[in-house]
Amino acid sequence: MSSNNVAAVSAFIEGAPPGELADVVNDVKALTPDDRNLLESARPAFKKYNEEQLTAVKLPGGAKNVLISAYNSLEDGRYYDVESRSAFAFDHMTQKASDVRSYVLESEHKDLITSLLKPLTLHAHEHYPSSVYAVYPTDSNTLAILLAANKYSPSNFWNGRLRTTYLYTPSTSTLSGTLKCDVHYYEDGNVRLTTKKEVSETSVPSGDVGGVVRAIAKIEKAWQEELNRGFGRLSEGEFKSLRRQLPVTRQKVEWEKVGSYRAGKEIGGGRR
Amino acid sequence: MSTDQFDSALDLLRRLPPHSTTSNLNRICALAPSLTEDLLSSVDQPLEIRRCKKTGRDYLLCDYNRDGDSWRSPWSNEFEPAIQDGEEGAKPSERVRRMEVGMGEAVDVYRELYYEGGVSSVYFWDLDDGFAGVVLLKKTTPSGKSEGGWDSIHVFEAIDRARTSHYKLTSTVILRLSTGGEALGDMDLSGNMTRQIEQDMPVQDDSSHIVNVGKLVEDMELKMRNLLQEVYFGKAKDVVGDLRSIPPLTEANREKATHQEMINSMKR
Repeated sequence: MSSNNVAAVSAFIEGAPPGELADVVNDVKALTPDDRNLLESARPAFKKYNEEQLTAVKLPGGAKNVLISAYNSLEDGRYYDVESRSAFAFDHMTQKASDVRSYVLESEHKDLITSLLKPLTLHAHEHYPSSVYAVYPTDSNTLAILLAANKYSPSNFWNGRLRTTYLYTPSTSTLSGTLKCDVHYYEDGNVRLTTKKEVSETSVPSGDVGGVVRAIAKIEKAWQEELNRGFGRLSEGEFKSLRRQLPVTRQKVEWEKVGSYRAGKEIGGGRR
Repeated sequence: MSTDQFDSALDLLRRLPPHSTTSNLNRICALAPSLTEDLLSSVDQPLEIRRCKKTGRDYLLCDYNRDGDSWRSPWSNEFEPAIQDGEEGAKPSERVRRMEVGMGEAVDVYRELYYEGGVSSVYFWDLDDGFAGVVLLKKTTPSGKSEGGWDSIHVFEAIDRARTSHYKLTSTVILRLSTGGEALGDMDLSGNMTRQIEQDMPVQDDSSHIVNVGKLVEDMELKMRNLLQEVYFGKAKDVVGDLRSIPPLTEANREKATHQEMINSMKR
């Protein structure tokens, strides 16, 4: 097994559309029937995928989904959840959680996290029909505010995911972040929308968790309206200028004429 | 090679990002070399442009005008670079070449009317009971804040019947769109869609084929352009709206409830 093969499989995993990792894995298995260890060797790519995609996972016995991210990973490869006060093992390949144990977060921002979750919950319910969100402390004295919204409709050949990651620094009252959207449509084709917006460091009201979430809501609204304008711009601009719906004459091509006066002299001559 | 492997390769390419199809295709061929030939002839990739050394006109490269590392220019009917070892390279028969030239000229007119630019190429080849061909069209918009690229690949067979021909057309359009800016960030909307059609059409002489294939391609492109518009600017946009609602959901739900109440009261 060459390292090239592992790199190839890792690239496939990285490119897996929302909700389709298992399909990509099945394809790789069928494609490389003689190389059973290939997927195992690509394990780091699975971990990277789940942490970057903010994979939502249901804990055994739990009702709510929790997020997988680099911010709630523990040194032993497990992940923790603040609200349910638990930590769990996570199989990156099958995306299943197990071995849930009690885990209480030790952080100087513990109270701040709890109070941030309240307005964040309201915000999520107000704008996301279905989402998973969380707040975790990072190493660098900031808080990671994460949200992932997934909607899968494989029977209609489409799946979508929207992710937001914000870093909030309480000491300076600043916020930065990234907003990403990924939509896949694959009925008799393969169409993909990918977007990425970086939010550079901005000031938020100090000591006001509601103000932090209001700033987030404002950023997201402005971005989504801009995205809708992006659709309009591409539809009216590039799409129209690539190929017209009809020629300027508003009439279809008269192939008989095009064929006869341009090419007919060559072909007509061939038939007597 | 097993059909399982081949189907999995196609399924994988249908899922992975369409703008990386070429690099993923190369990765798959490295993993399962026995699939290479079949994949190269059935997976559509963005077309490359070459300039014909003899005529100075641009033409498009695909698997159908390729022989090893050489491609046949439809304008000169010669392989570039010339095939080594004194080999000729596969060319259509004299009759099919005449139709190829005619179709190439007709598609050139079609391209100017619909694309107002771009490059087109037509390649035909002989079959035992008829002939087959590919009609290629490509256009890219000048790069700027927004960019776009369109590749049409129409592969067809024309099977001889008495006074008619049976046409089987498989069409793929690869459409790449992107835009960006300070407020938006990056936005990429890319992909490909494939459709097929079979139809019997009357044939009087060889020029009938040009008319028939021309009409089939024109109708198919109209249909596919509408479909692409629906998927790119309807479906994709709707899914974003399904993921996140700009108006607050409590407000939207309240409006929905009021609306439902109105309908109910009218029913009474």
